[in-house]
Amino acid sequence: MQIYLPIAELPVSILTILAMGAAVGFLSGMFGIGGGFLMTPLLIFLGIPPAVAVGTQTTQVVASSVTGALAHFTRRSIDFKMGGVLLAGGVVGSLSGIYLFKLLAAIGQIDLAISVIYVLFLSVIGAMMMIESVQAIRAARGGRVTPRRKHHSWIHGLPFKVRFRRSKLYISVIPPVLVGYFVGTLSAIMGVGGGFIMIPAMIYLLRMPTNVVIGTSFFQIVFVAALTGVMHSVENQAVDIVLGFLLVVGGVIGAQYGVRAAEKMPAEQLRALLAAILLLIGMRLGYDLVSTPPDLYSVIEAEPLS
Amino acid sequence: MMRRAAALFIAFLAFAAPACADQLVTDLSEHQVAIRSNFTGTQILLFGAVEAARPGSRALNRDIIVVVQGPSRPMTVRRKEQMTAIWVNHDSVTYPSVPGYYAIASTRPLEVTATPETLKALRIGIENIDPGTPTAHAIDGTLQILPPDEERAFWKALIRNKRRDGLYINVPGGVTFLGQTLFRATVDIPAKVPVGLYTAKVYLLQDGEIIDTISSPLYIEKGGVERFLYRMAHTDPLLYGMIAVLVAAFAGWLASAVMARR
Repeated sequence: MQIYLPIAELPVSILTILAMGAAVGFLSGMFGIGGGFLMTPLLIFLGIPPAVAVGTQTTQVVASSVTGALAHFTRRSIDFKMGGVLLAGGVVGSLSGIYLFKLLAAIGQIDLAISVIYVLFLSVIGAMMMIESVQAIRAARGGRVTPRRKHHSWIHGLPFKVRFRRSKLYISVIPPVLVGYFVGTLSAIMGVGGGFIMIPAMIYLLRMPTNVVIGTSFFQIVFVAALTGVMHSVENQAVDIVLGFLLVVGGVIGAQYGVRAAEKMPAEQLRALLAAILLLIGMRLGYDLVSTPPDLYSVIEAEPLS
Repeated sequence: MMRRAAALFIAFLAFAAPACADQLVTDLSEHQVAIRSNFTGTQILLFGAVEAARPGSRALNRDIIVVVQGPSRPMTVRRKEQMTAIWVNHDSVTYPSVPGYYAIASTRPLEVTATPETLKALRIGIENIDPGTPTAHAIDGTLQILPPDEERAFWKALIRNKRRDGLYINVPGGVTFLGQTLFRATVDIPAKVPVGLYTAKVYLLQDGEIIDTISSPLYIEKGGVERFLYRMAHTDPLLYGMIAVLVAAFAGWLASAVMARR
């Protein structure tokens, strides 16, 4: 069954979109991620204009991060103070990301920018996670415990120190604001929540305890994604509410099964699997960048000359 | 020389005796196409008759050309070039007025219907579309002047692209005569069609010269909920964006409420 998308201006199969939403929702429930980095490339492969794919994807990120944040709220595993600091950076980052997006679209390099950023992040983070989880699996088999290094880094020398009670940290607000800003910018350009960058940054850079990392990340993403969605709508008219609704419905259903499936798998193997998925998508997008396109020319509607 | 003389002669005949010329009567199956949620493209039927000036006159060498054209908008064609392994959009050419849709059907292939000069003068045929004066830009956004044959390559690429999307259609033999005077043509409207005011133009040709034309409007617009949403996204984008986000947030809350109950 086909449905016409009012903003993307093309018909799509309802079942395809629901299935895509469910598949990505399954993975997002399984790994505790937003799934935006999977969905945006899929939508672009499907022929949805990149701007609409990115803009619409933010609504799906809002839905899945609300679910995630609420679950962590009941478990009291959100550091609201840290979330607020990250959010402050995220808001500014999202706004600058929107304008960067507009600028890149105007000079015709937005597709390239989206692809390059995806390839870069997917391969780097995928490789890092893969190495880390393989080491963890090996260590678990060998019975050794990898020692967790805890040393003072340059971060502790920065000013504006604040105590984050729930994270048991006393650090400068500069690194979390910068992390928030950076992830906010990426989220606006890539149509992702940015959890897959935010979470490693929180663990390895800010050294937050793992039990509050995911909840705090979700809490922060809810607001950044909401802002990004509204701004994409205002600046680019690129949010397709019908497409977004179908993705959300599929995602919500898929996530339920994903969460249950994750309970049956050990954490290290789960992470290795996620790393493999990230690497595969990165490689696919990277191949598209270097392989000769079937048609060197592309046509788009130009902005009316003012 | 001979051809021009003949053309002048026939033009003179047509001009001198308009009352004697054959005339067209046409209509469309629909004058309004509403794009609703189940829209996956449609077909428009154009039908008409040639009213002979003198009853009983034999219709020899008579041809019909049907051109359905969509609203014109500025379009940019970009060409990718490989820069250190990666394919990057490099040069671009912008045409100020490119029809978003152009379908042409005729009783016989265009080449045998009329001379290339006639077709070109009347801008009939995909090759004869006039997109206005193109402006070329380099990758850094500066204006540049491309040699005509290179610019031609961009224009050919645009036509190729539109053909691939089913937006530029050429159907030689797409107009069929039913008997002496009645004719019909079907025109495919694909799903990705741009919205706006279309014109369906019908040309009647006798011995390669146009003796009558008639044009009728066709509106293709979004209908129902699609129209409402599209309008709102453009006239009230802030409210639209907030609703989109709130609906998503509500769905997320609903999901967690359902999960908590289990």
